[in-house]
Amino acid sequence: MANRAQLLEEIQQTSFQVDELTLYLDTHPLDQKALDAFSQAKNLRYQQMQNYAREFEPLTTYLVCPDTNNETGSFSKYPGQRHFTWSDGPLPWDNQGGI
Amino acid sequence: MWTYEKRLQYPVNIKKTCPKTASLIISQFGGPDGELSASMRYLSQRYSMPCKETAGLLTDIGTEELAHLEIICAIIFQLTKNMKPEDAKTAGFDAYYIDHTAGIWPTAAAGIPFNACEFQSKGDLFADLFEDMAAEQKARTVYENLIRVIDDPDVLAPLKFLREREVVHFQRFGEALERNKTKLDEKNFYYFNPEFDKQMA
Repeated sequence: MANRAQLLEEIQQTSFQVDELTLYLDTHPLDQKALDAFSQAKNLRYQQMQNYAREFEPLTTYLVCPDTNNETGSFSKYPGQRHFTWSDGPLPWDNQGGI
Repeated sequence: MWTYEKRLQYPVNIKKTCPKTASLIISQFGGPDGELSASMRYLSQRYSMPCKETAGLLTDIGTEELAHLEIICAIIFQLTKNMKPEDAKTAGFDAYYIDHTAGIWPTAAAGIPFNACEFQSKGDLFADLFEDMAAEQKARTVYENLIRVIDDPDVLAPLKFLREREVVHFQRFGEALERNKTKLDEKNFYYFNPEFDKQMA
């Protein structure tokens, strides 16, 4: 089974690369090296986000898929049932888990 | 439009309750140089910005500031989560506790509520970009003031990340300022309001 915390950390890192390169490219739109780095990070992030949604829960509503209910059942009130998976998972600001 | 992503831009994992620290950090939510003020400043200024790329930069930085606001609120939430009545009496948090319990409300550390007068949207490219650069510097100063008086490494890590972002945003606004200058009369950049007087090349 994939490690939730580790996958989330990888998403955080790749997303930061995309966000940082976005601001850089806003003022350097022709920097070819930065454009290549942006594409690479953006593609990797897309895979990581899809993978996380499949293993655990979607991080955006656009990744919600009721039929890919997380098999791990972690942080879900409806394990094994077809349901709206957007409410699965911990709240991002709560390191101790909510109700 | 915006899309919410259910994660923090930088992780916050605080184990020790400390309302006193929360009462200082809350200034970066609702204080004069806080993240709420920052996001509203940039997201308000962008509409009349004549340079499309600068408007885009304001959108992107304004959006990141919303993520920073969420980090600050996560820090305050975790610092006050398991608060006991005796913790709530801690000097600096007692007055806040009376009005808000452990709810998160935008205010400055000194108790002044969040106010739109803390930022400007002047409808003048240079006035706004200089304000933005000053705002990033002032926010950096506040983060440094916080980092100096806080010991908990769990609290310091996200504060150091946020401080670094102020430096990067200052750099990007500076670059936007220089790019805008190249479109104007180099003998007299600041003679008129380029947003209203429509003299940009």
